[in-house]
Amino acid sequence: MGARGQAGADGRAIGLVMAEADFDYEAALLACAGGDQAALRRIYERESRWLMGVALRIVRRRELADEVLHDAFLQIWQKCTTYNPALGSARGWIYSVVRHRALNVLRDRQREDPSGDVSLDDIPDGSADPADSVSRASEASALHRCLKHLDEQKRVCILLAFVDGYTHQQIAARLSTPLGTVKAWIRRGLLSLRDCLA
Amino acid sequence: MNFRDSDELTALAGEYVLGLFSPVEKIEFERELAINRELAKAVYYWQDRLLEVAPMPAPVAPAPGLWARIERDLAPPAPDRAAKPGLWASLNFWRFAGLVGALASLLLAWNLITGAPPVAPGQQYLAVLQTPDKSAGWLVEANARHVRLTPLTRTAAKEKQVLQFWTKPEGASGPTSLGLVPGDRITLIPASRLPGLGEKQLFEITLEPESGSPIGRPTGPILAVGRAVRL
Repeated sequence: MGARGQAGADGRAIGLVMAEADFDYEAALLACAGGDQAALRRIYERESRWLMGVALRIVRRRELADEVLHDAFLQIWQKCTTYNPALGSARGWIYSVVRHRALNVLRDRQREDPSGDVSLDDIPDGSADPADSVSRASEASALHRCLKHLDEQKRVCILLAFVDGYTHQQIAARLSTPLGTVKAWIRRGLLSLRDCLA
Repeated sequence: MNFRDSDELTALAGEYVLGLFSPVEKIEFERELAINRELAKAVYYWQDRLLEVAPMPAPVAPAPGLWARIERDLAPPAPDRAAKPGLWASLNFWRFAGLVGALASLLLAWNLITGAPPVAPGQQYLAVLQTPDKSAGWLVEANARHVRLTPLTRTAAKEKQVLQFWTKPEGASGPTSLGLVPGDRITLIPASRLPGLGEKQLFEITLEPESGSPIGRPTGPILAVGRAVRL
């Protein structure tokens, strides 16, 4: 995990590999499981701007992203007893709750109004199109190397799903590639990422 | 889904974390996730790895007052919450659910043989909750995916009081809280929070102290109540 804790030029930790050193996510989440509301608040104060960025990128509308964050924090509070520190980081778990909540909202909306789909070009926040970006993980990190190692298409597919919440179908449409090919790229991409990191 | 092959399991966990499953696939996956430690390990693995490799969207300030709203809607901590593993993680629950599933299949087969109408999987339920003055106060629509609670009139809780939504399946020993709800807009609740869903299931809304009923069952006056009918 050499990528963690790398400070950026603006003094803030870089991207998703933000410094963890000064905040103990595991302790905060386990305190939530013990019924400590102040711990949930500490997580909110620490992470809400970033979680909001993740949610907004997926649901595309600020008021929806606020709802996602609201519901996700209630879920974090309710589900924190299921977090298992032996299996992975509390931070990854928290982001996962927010992403799943955002994806549910997005999918519900798309089911109700399939035409209301917003294209990536409409996103005003200036964040990088994942299709063009690798990651801001440290240049030297194994992750960076492994992600670069992936074929371009596989990397783009994985990032479109993860960052923008695209479905297989939406990725296929965007890349003008058959659905079956996209599904295979993602599976193979995940497996080569795992093999490279092993 | 094939959870035996280790590559397959890794890829499925990755697809789940990426959010690529349909609602039906998600249910199948999460059912296995509750009882399969290898799968849980793979999910945590991808949660962490993908978070590290993905570019971070720009940070955005949440709406002012959002934390206050979250705090208001938090259920009061149960005294033994740390000791109690979640229902979804309980092997016995899934064994029981499997048994119920098997019985349902038998019943379905029996119905097909005897010509009785089969039970559709996407069953819809509706309940109109009546207020004490017998007017329609709330509408509850429930299916295998979620419960939608729609206020038909504006119900404003007084200061330091909240509206709490409850349900009790026919024959259940006690009500289950579905959470604190706003009186002026629609609330969507995932069906996973339901203790069950069936004909004549009771739904009600009570007025409770600020952070919800402290004892896990209704303590305040009933504002609206009704039973579900199958559509």
